[in-house]
Amino acid sequence: MEAILEGFKNAIYLLLSFDKEIYSIVGLSLYVSLASTLISSLLAIPFGIILGIKSFKVKKIIVRGLYTMMSLPPVIVGLVIYLLISRSGPLGRLGITYTPIAMIIAQICLVTPIIAGGIYNGTKEKGEEIKNLAYTLGANKIQTLFLLIKELRVYIFSSIVTGYGRAISEVGAVMIVGGNIKGHTRVMTTTIAMLRNMGDYEMAIAIGIVLLSLSFIINSLLYKLQQED
Amino acid sequence: MNLNINNLQKYYEGQPVLNIENLTIQAGSLLGIIGPNGAGKSTLIKTIAGLIKASSGSIYYDNNKFSSKIQKHMTLVFQKPYLLRSTVFNNIAYPLKIRNVERKEIEKRVIEVMDFIGIESLKNQKAWTLSGGEAQKVALARAIVIKPSLLLLDEPTANIDPNSILVMEEAIKKFHKENNSTVIIITHNLGQSKRLCKEVAFMNKGKIIEIEKTDRLFNSPKHSTTKKFIEGEIII
Ligand SMILES: Nc1ncnc2c1ncn2[C@@H]1O[C@H](COP(=O)(O)OP(=O)(O)OP(=O)(O)O)[C@@H](O)[C@H]1O
Ligand SMILES: [Mg+2]
Repeated sequence: MEAILEGFKNAIYLLLSFDKEIYSIVGLSLYVSLASTLISSLLAIPFGIILGIKSFKVKKIIVRGLYTMMSLPPVIVGLVIYLLISRSGPLGRLGITYTPIAMIIAQICLVTPIIAGGIYNGTKEKGEEIKNLAYTLGANKIQTLFLLIKELRVYIFSSIVTGYGRAISEVGAVMIVGGNIKGHTRVMTTTIAMLRNMGDYEMAIAIGIVLLSLSFIINSLLYKLQQED
Repeated sequence: MNLNINNLQKYYEGQPVLNIENLTIQAGSLLGIIGPNGAGKSTLIKTIAGLIKASSGSIYYDNNKFSSKIQKHMTLVFQKPYLLRSTVFNNIAYPLKIRNVERKEIEKRVIEVMDFIGIESLKNQKAWTLSGGEAQKVALARAIVIKPSLLLLDEPTANIDPNSILVMEEAIKKFHKENNSTVIIITHNLGQSKRLCKEVAFMNKGKIIEIEKTDRLFNSPKHSTTKKFIEGEIII
């Protein structure tokens, strides 16, 4: 108990002293998860909406695949990406092993299905009705897509926020493809995992506090969005 | 808009739900469609609106096949209307916005149509806070604001109090008269079809059993099923 309290005190001190290392770690975490969430959203929004309103032959299989991918174990994604980009892998030439780019790619693979799945669920409920309304009021295809995005905005935002929450708190994939290199690929979650192994709890708790605060902000946002509905 | 329907058929999983040999609706008609649940009334007007693809047969609009230009000149009010997650004003303004109408003009026309239907006081209310009947009025306003040459109405007054029904009927009549549009209205309210329509079609099991001048259909129906239906007897 004492160790925790002591750690907590020192952690606050570390945060308030604007320790450079902590802020670079937090900064990289934010950068990697924001970039991956942004790219994932661009892929997932049209995909989720189109899957929700169109009916075609292999749709059932795609939906089941999507649901499976929503709960992919991060270490497996990390491992597969690692094997692809490692020097002897098929994408080894790119030379992106142990870089933030590799981490972003791994997180895109994890987060895109989560956002797409959430949007698909929302679209499945109301998409057809919205599409039909747009059609009968004279909208063209592009106007219909814009209206769908606008009307489904609550589902879209909450899916993006959920995806972001997953990205920033995930450790397995970024550890494998990023390697937790100090000043280069070290993010909040990998730092905590490492510090725990080293028995250095102060820094771990300090970063834990930042991570929790970010989680709190994300969830408050989610709650507010759901309230709006 | 003039409508010409020929051998129109629609099947769901091998079951015929629509089978219309020939139906011509002259431009400027105000046609009522009556008939029991599941008769295919909604399927018919959704097919006319281009929302459902017919299994076979054809529909001509002023002697043209369906196109995006025709799509822009007609609107359909659904049995259960969907309102956009926004204000009443924005709901009614939407069809004008997508037609690139100027902002001032939009403002003017939306207010005009709200006045027309008696919903001025709802202007800034959020759509999801409206009562069922208010929502139907907004849906009607949104449909007529573009002055469509074909207006399709699927039970537009289902949730509405008797007084507001008359207000909406007046609005539909006035809209029809001022724009010389073709109006097709599905209704379970036989009194409404008598008050509103010049012609009424009776549908049963996907077919148009008869289509007649309103007086004729109600006073001397040709078919026994029509007679039973309007006299409130059970039909099988
Ligand atoms: N997507 C669908 N799949 C299978 N059957 C359908 C589908 N849509 C409609 N039907 C069937 O087609 C028939 C006609 O339906 P429709 O909605 O046109 O009836 P309606 O005359 O409008 O009835 P109501 O007065 O109850 O609104 C019904 O038996 C209905 O069950
Ligand atoms: Mg119906």
